Amino acid sequence: MHALRYFFSEAAASLMRGPLATALAIVTIATGLFVLGVFLVVNANFQRVIDRWSRSAELSVYLHDNVTPEQLTAIDELTGSSGLAAHREYVSKEQALARFKTDFPDLAGTAGTLENNPFPASFDVQLKPDLRESTAAVDGLVSALTSMAGVADVRYDREWLTRLNTLVRTGRIGATGIVLLLAVAAAMTVGNVVRLTAAARRDEIEIMQLVGAPFAYVRGPFVAEGILQGGIGAIVALIALTVAFYFVRTKFDTLTFLALPMAVILLFGGILLGCLGGYVVARRVR
Amino acid sequence: MIEVQRVSKTYARGVYALRDLSLHIGKGDFVFLTGPSGAGKSTLLRLLLRRDVPSEGQLIVGGRNLAELTPRQVQAYRRSIGFVFQDFKLLQNKTLLENVAFVPRVLGIGASQQQRRTFQVLKWVGLQHRMSAYPRELSGGEQQRVAIARAIVNDPLIILADEPTGNLDPDLSLEIMNLFREINARGTTVVVATHDRELIRRVGRRSLTLDHGEIVERT
Repeated sequence: MHALRYFFSEAAASLMRGPLATALAIVTIATGLFVLGVFLVVNANFQRVIDRWSRSAELSVYLHDNVTPEQLTAIDELTGSSGLAAHREYVSKEQALARFKTDFPDLAGTAGTLENNPFPASFDVQLKPDLRESTAAVDGLVSALTSMAGVADVRYDREWLTRLNTLVRTGRIGATGIVLLLAVAAAMTVGNVVRLTAAARRDEIEIMQLVGAPFAYVRGPFVAEGILQGGIGAIVALIALTVAFYFVRTKFDTLTFLALPMAVILLFGGILLGCLGGYVVARRVR
Repeated sequence: MIEVQRVSKTYARGVYALRDLSLHIGKGDFVFLTGPSGAGKSTLLRLLLRRDVPSEGQLIVGGRNLAELTPRQVQAYRRSIGFVFQDFKLLQNKTLLENVAFVPRVLGIGASQQQRRTFQVLKWVGLQHRMSAYPRELSGGEQQRVAIARAIVNDPLIILADEPTGNLDPDLSLEIMNLFREINARGTTVVVATHDRELIRRVGRRSLTLDHGEIVERT
């Protein structure tokens, strides 16, 4: 406890002695973490939308208007026995029209003027998440359903969902690269600031070495300095992220913010980055 | 306490700073190392402080061969040594109190004990009334007294002093030497390097004269 108090009081005093260099390190860390935070928010929201789309009718089996109850049962049994469906729902012609009116309120009036309901009844089938990639099995089901009596058409959303997923994944890899670069830059900035501190404190370090201070006491303040810079940088990034989020949400009100665990990870990520930068310098001090 | 056995120290191009040096300093001794500049006094103190190791021979202190110590053992060894330098080596951004308390603080000693020891030694060197002053506000003699207080705050077994009176006038020098005598009277081994023969005469203790890395006179 005494050691920790010593590390952090020395580190805080050291940060105060070089406010400009400290601010630079904090801003660099905050920038890196802010970009990471933006990436996480965008990613989480994209993922949420994709999941929602995936959950809705992935496989739509459109039915002829004259489908018989026996044919309906046969279609339902086939999808049920395939083992691919997580959820299946029969949507009647009336429900389909109502759904259209809800989804496209601007066109609801036009739909109301039609003499006959043009929307077909359908079975909406949601696939089991772990089986979505089983292309052959899903294609087999689609082909079997298409040839069944009473079925007008089978629409399968997999292809465009796959393309969207690929696009998101590619974006994720690119963003990860940028975040990694920023993280390295942040750790290096912390390292350089801590190195400046080490140069400014060389007299103290010499005395510590001469009196036989344990390595932990000689090196601890540098690591603590990195931790403080990283922690403050992360807090600044989180505050900036919150402000930016609320600003953007005035235009896109369905957006959601970072989940609490992610915010905590971001905070500890900053602390870890700072700690790393400080440690790299500290281990050179003997 | 200190056994120097045929120790030589060479630097680049084979220049000898110490040559085949042997001496014994017992527990509680007070010894002057003297001689002209470049005689090897400071080199011997550097070796005793384990800032360097001999090129040849052995240096045994308290039964430990200094060349064989691991980094952690060096730390432990240095905790038993107090040092005083000609240029005081005080931390300019710290007060007297902080300068002295710095040692127990970085050795992990508890706050109350730190304070007690620091007050005691500052009182002993007669500077308890200037605890909040900074080194630049003190005279050379006062700064050296602070350095001595810092050297003894950890209650070391040996005090090593390298030209501790080099920047002081004769009266202040004697005053500083009296402090060393008092430290020695409590049983601490004291080794002082100085080229001031008059001071040695006035203090009247054992002295070893070095020249070109060799002992040329023992008195």
